[in-house]
Amino acid sequence: MISLFIGEFAKAGWLAYPPLSNIGYSPDVGVDYYIWALQVAGVGTTLSGINLIATIVKMRCPGMTLMKMPVFTWTSLCTNVLIVASFPVLTACLTLLSLDRYVGTNFFTNDLGGNPMMYVNLIWIWGHPEVYILILPLFGVFSEVTSTFSGKKLFGYTSMVYATIVITILSYLVWLHHFFTMGSGASVNSFFGITTMIISIPTGAKIFNWLFTMYRGRIRFDLPMMWTIAFMLTFTIGGMTGVMLAIPPADFVLHNSLFLIAHFHNVIIGGVVFGVFAAINFWFPKAFGFKLDEFWGKVSFWFWVPGFWVAFTPLYVLGLMGVTRRMRVFDDPSLQIWFVIAGIGAAMIAAGTGALLVQIAVSVWRRKELADLTGDPWNGRTLEWATSSPPPDYNFAFTPVVHDNDAWYDMKNRSYQRPHQGFRPIHMPKNTGAGIILSGLATALGFALIWYMWAFAAVCFVALIAGAIYHTFNYKRDFHIPVDQVIATETKRSELLAAQAAS
Amino acid sequence: MSASIQTMNGDVPVFYVADEHDHPPGQSTMLGFWLYLMSDCLIFAMLFATFGVLGTSYAAGPGPKDLFDLKLVALNTAMLLFSSITYGFAMLEMMKGKKNTTLLWLAITGLFGFAFLCIELYEFHHMIHEGAGWWRSAFLSSFFTLVGTHGLHVTFGIIWLVVLMVQVAKFGLIEANQRRLMCLSMFWHFLDVVWIGVFTFVYLMGVVR
Repeated sequence: MISLFIGEFAKAGWLAYPPLSNIGYSPDVGVDYYIWALQVAGVGTTLSGINLIATIVKMRCPGMTLMKMPVFTWTSLCTNVLIVASFPVLTACLTLLSLDRYVGTNFFTNDLGGNPMMYVNLIWIWGHPEVYILILPLFGVFSEVTSTFSGKKLFGYTSMVYATIVITILSYLVWLHHFFTMGSGASVNSFFGITTMIISIPTGAKIFNWLFTMYRGRIRFDLPMMWTIAFMLTFTIGGMTGVMLAIPPADFVLHNSLFLIAHFHNVIIGGVVFGVFAAINFWFPKAFGFKLDEFWGKVSFWFWVPGFWVAFTPLYVLGLMGVTRRMRVFDDPSLQIWFVIAGIGAAMIAAGTGALLVQIAVSVWRRKELADLTGDPWNGRTLEWATSSPPPDYNFAFTPVVHDNDAWYDMKNRSYQRPHQGFRPIHMPKNTGAGIILSGLATALGFALIWYMWAFAAVCFVALIAGAIYHTFNYKRDFHIPVDQVIATETKRSELLAAQAAS
Repeated sequence: MSASIQTMNGDVPVFYVADEHDHPPGQSTMLGFWLYLMSDCLIFAMLFATFGVLGTSYAAGPGPKDLFDLKLVALNTAMLLFSSITYGFAMLEMMKGKKNTTLLWLAITGLFGFAFLCIELYEFHHMIHEGAGWWRSAFLSSFFTLVGTHGLHVTFGIIWLVVLMVQVAKFGLIEANQRRLMCLSMFWHFLDVVWIGVFTFVYLMGVVR
């Protein structure tokens, strides 16, 4: 963000391919902003990935074996495995680029033995797993939403888990399909074309699992479910054009064309963005204690989904006619109409985004009416719906014991009683400002490096190390929530629930 | 805790743990640190791969045969391997709960690590002095980056070692410090393993090639 106001922004594309991004062709600070922003964020991402894997593997409640975890937890686990296994590659790759730019090494230069194509390989070894880091958590969201709003257990839980794992592994074996035209030869291209097509099998299995979950279900068309259905329709088309691009000879025609642009927007908007909307509408009441306004949510939905198709279908057509990406002017006036249609679609998407902001504003405004007092606004199936909305600091006064995949549904079915006594002080980790302070210092360090402020950079670096060391001298990292506070919170909730049962 | 999963009175299942105890801190630290090491390992994997691709791009400049002094590298390797053994001794003393001998072996480990760094810096200085710096060719760029990254890790390992020595001296061999020594132990041995890779693929194979 700072780069928009101070100095230059990066002008070497999403992935900053050298030699364009190297010092000779991008002498200004734009690429340096790009590098250091990604480096600081990348370290943070890797460390939180490690944290979340260790949490999921080590800190599950009793009874929750791996195969009894909610699917969202499974997809999160696989996502974090991908993060830990791919972000170091980005770190290494960008370090090499910054060495080229800062100290004159010859990794990706055109002379003295450098090889720019190596950068393209390295960055896509991170970049392809990265797109699965985007989509896998949303696959989990769609699973939770489909099962909740169909009122049924998820169809094919086991196959869903294995499909996720297979996608996790395969995502490392397809990176070269981003540059079939590099000229790696027929054998290499065939290998990567085939692995790419194979990925569509577990993904297809997931789509069928969702469809079979809906089959004979009592489907409630609330907003999360509407986004999920929009996703299934949109993503499937995007997946199919992806398989077309996976055929190397076809890719030689379609590479860098608007067909490609339409494809990846088709999967990223149709998958990730729609999934995020489903997730926001689904979990917003849990996080903030009130539901989102339905009317404005539907306005947003009906602008977004048709708007998407109006905007991107013309791009498929244009791409097939040979129009390339990243162009500002075209000589052929017959192309104009398609761009105009796409422009109308973009305006619809803008209206949908506006409606989303209105939805949030209206919901905050009407938060009293929309309040979720039960903690379970959707008749949910997994444990998060067992506690209040928003949850207390300690989540559960007593650690739950799980017997079934849909633990909360199982509890409701087998007449679970909320405990009213026997509360104990709850053991908690202490809050610390260390993370914020250290990341602030890391950001300052990045800024100093971008502007070659060596003395300031040195100060920041030393402060960063010293701050981290200082933090290790803090040995008291836990505390107990006093039992009085637990009793007060739980009694209040009991009264609230009793009042609702009575009314 | 596993007992509470059992159902009591036959039919009524238990849905929560009634008598929960405090979780001991750091029960997932080892797993987390191991994952961190694997992510670090990937950085080295990328640098090895880069060296694999660019390691013969001399750009008409000096190659491994002209630059590497295997005797010096052997001495260097010995320093690092010794430091791994002495760290092992420190851990054994830690297990016995002997604070002073633990500190002694840690100090010796640090000295070996420091010697390793000095020899490496001498080698770098020598190469740069001969005009074979990282800017000269892609081979030298990838050489300095791979070996330098390892050296940087050793440097931070030594800083960590000193901090831990202070903490052990100050607070004793308490559980948290034992856990930290264990993490550094993994880190230190990991760097040793990476160095074996560097020694083999960069130096030995370089001279043979």
